[in-house]
Amino acid sequence: MQDERTSQPWAGATGAVAAGAQEAINLRKRPRIREALIQGFLFLCGVLSILTTLGIVFELGKESLGFFTRQVWEDSNKALPVALAPGATELLLSRGGSGIQAGDLVRVENEVMLVKAATGQAATVVRGQQGTEAVAHAANVALFRGKRVSLVEFFTGTKWSPQIGQFGILPLVTATLMTSVIAMLVALPLGLSVAIYLSEYASERARKILKPILEVLSGIPTVVYGYFALTFMTPLLRGVFGQDTVQIYNMASAGLVIGVLILPLVSSMSEDALSAVPRSLREAAYALGATKFEVAVKIVVPAALSGIAAAFILAMSRAVGETMVVAIAAGQGPNLTFNPFRSAETMTGHMVRISGGDLSYDSIDYNSIFAIGMLLFLITFVLNIISQRIVRRFREVYD
Amino acid sequence: MRSLFIVSLMVVALTVAACGAAEPTQAPTDIPASATAAPAQPTAAPGTGMVALPEVDPAEVTGDFVSAGSSTVYPLSERMAERFADEGYAGNITIDSIGTGGGFERFCKTGETDIANASRGIKDEEKANCQAIGREPVEFRIGTDGLAVVVSKANTFLTNATKEDLGKIFTAEKWSDVNASWPAEPIQRFIPGTDSGTFDYFVEVVFAKDKTPLLNAPNTQLSEDDNVLVQGVEGGPYAIGFFGYAYYEENRDKLNVLSIEGVTPDAATVEGGTYPLARPLFLYSTAKIMQEKPQVASFINYYLTHVDEEISSVGYFPASTEALDASKQAWLDAMGQ
Repeated sequence: MQDERTSQPWAGATGAVAAGAQEAINLRKRPRIREALIQGFLFLCGVLSILTTLGIVFELGKESLGFFTRQVWEDSNKALPVALAPGATELLLSRGGSGIQAGDLVRVENEVMLVKAATGQAATVVRGQQGTEAVAHAANVALFRGKRVSLVEFFTGTKWSPQIGQFGILPLVTATLMTSVIAMLVALPLGLSVAIYLSEYASERARKILKPILEVLSGIPTVVYGYFALTFMTPLLRGVFGQDTVQIYNMASAGLVIGVLILPLVSSMSEDALSAVPRSLREAAYALGATKFEVAVKIVVPAALSGIAAAFILAMSRAVGETMVVAIAAGQGPNLTFNPFRSAETMTGHMVRISGGDLSYDSIDYNSIFAIGMLLFLITFVLNIISQRIVRRFREVYD
Repeated sequence: MRSLFIVSLMVVALTVAACGAAEPTQAPTDIPASATAAPAQPTAAPGTGMVALPEVDPAEVTGDFVSAGSSTVYPLSERMAERFADEGYAGNITIDSIGTGGGFERFCKTGETDIANASRGIKDEEKANCQAIGREPVEFRIGTDGLAVVVSKANTFLTNATKEDLGKIFTAEKWSDVNASWPAEPIQRFIPGTDSGTFDYFVEVVFAKDKTPLLNAPNTQLSEDDNVLVQGVEGGPYAIGFFGYAYYEENRDKLNVLSIEGVTPDAATVEGGTYPLARPLFLYSTAKIMQEKPQVASFINYYLTHVDEEISSVGYFPASTEALDASKQAWLDAMGQ
């Protein structure tokens, strides 16, 4: 038995070697078609997100470019008082003038003219500009003034009213920033406190109750939050600060409710960051006699700083892009003010209000939406880059 | 055991909330049948005009149609559509409230809708746009609105205004700038958006078609949704706004309507023509649509026949018999009868 066993392997091995000599064992990597296909499909899913981003940027850019380069013809609300012959170069303006200056372009029906000189009552024009023909015009035809929106005017103007040719985005930007700042003032302290409680102090039971409730808070639709702001938060603020200080539509109640909205985001991301800190750090601190609070605030939070900073910045982008809450509760007219109890329209609220009225393609309102959208995109993009930089800079690598 | 506890807690909470909400003082969002507070009944009973339209049985009408436009006409159209459905119509009627301008946009530029609701007449450019897509708009006058300029009930100093006053109130910074005896508080304005026919009408009547001063005014909020404006005006004693009479009617307990040049809007003054801000309400469609989609023709027929029965409870005022007759005649002409 033993002999057979000991002798067999040799025989087997020899046999195998003898058999292998006739047929080479292929040790090259076998192509697995199915695996390759699955890998390719998953890669395509990833590429899809890149393509979508590129598509969005392209669309925004194209329409915004249209906004900044198109000639805006604003109705000067002053009609031509007398008929105009094809050869005439003196344009009589309605009494009261119309603010037309030398170098302006004006349009009457289909003809574009360049203004060479203008007094209050009349203007000297060169006819038939921009490829249009000089034709006769009847009296009482509308006169349109042409202008281009310059980047300087866009970023530094203080009035936004495209219908009458005012294109200053500052009121919308300040309103967005104010609501976002108020939201962050609510969400950051509360969110971080909740995260610290959940990761350092909470018992298993408490965590099991608190976490699902936070999930519910984050699952509430934003339009419900908007009406919550209008029907609960605003009367509350008016009761606390007085009916006269707080307007019915105001940035403060919208900001506070956005804070509540992004609280779960801050708390869950911060809690992930705090939990990722290894136990050894905490235990070392306890061993040196630190209290729970000192451990939480002086050891764990600084160690998790990069994750917490990323959470803050993500929440900030979310607050900046929040639309329904501000559309319902913050106000419907652009207003440059730093008083949070007054109404002001944010960028997102303005886009919703204007696009709700059915715009014709290529009207000035339509293009202006894309310009505002582009600015919003750039703001959140910059915030994202900052967040990545901070994460990389402060990231602690543990062995 | 614990999940049972949590579930029962939630059930109790929901029941308490439901019981609490069932209590009164719930502001109605749809038009209340406030027949007691409504103005006098219409002077013309249905069918007493010179023109009679063929009888329409809603139960026999099939097919869906879409209408969009004025937020002022919206409650009236909704009411007629409800009635149409109550009497047997089984299809889908979509009515969108996006402002007269928006309605014409969809009717004349993109051709998406079958009926356009309007609180002003169609403009020449809009008509040209319609014709460019092969639509020849037919106008149907369906009623009259008395534009209500409202302030909150807490406003005790303003009860009457002339058109000039309105021009000043809607552009000045403070109430005291218009009249020294009024409070020195900033005027908060809530006006319909630029897509709204109400806005166009106000600009035409008060500002001679120049919208610049109105849009330049500080503290001005614009919205196509008249309910937003109602909320805004109710919010404080220094707020003022304007919209269709029906929205004032619905919120009588919180708003005061101003009399314009001494005339208060009600059935007599609006129908009689003495209220300065009385304006017509229209439906627009085309002969082609009405012939190709008989459900549209039937609905407009039904609308014209029965609008006087519903218009007062919605909050507007009937058009004159002659105007309604003209609309009915336009219907007959469009249908080739």
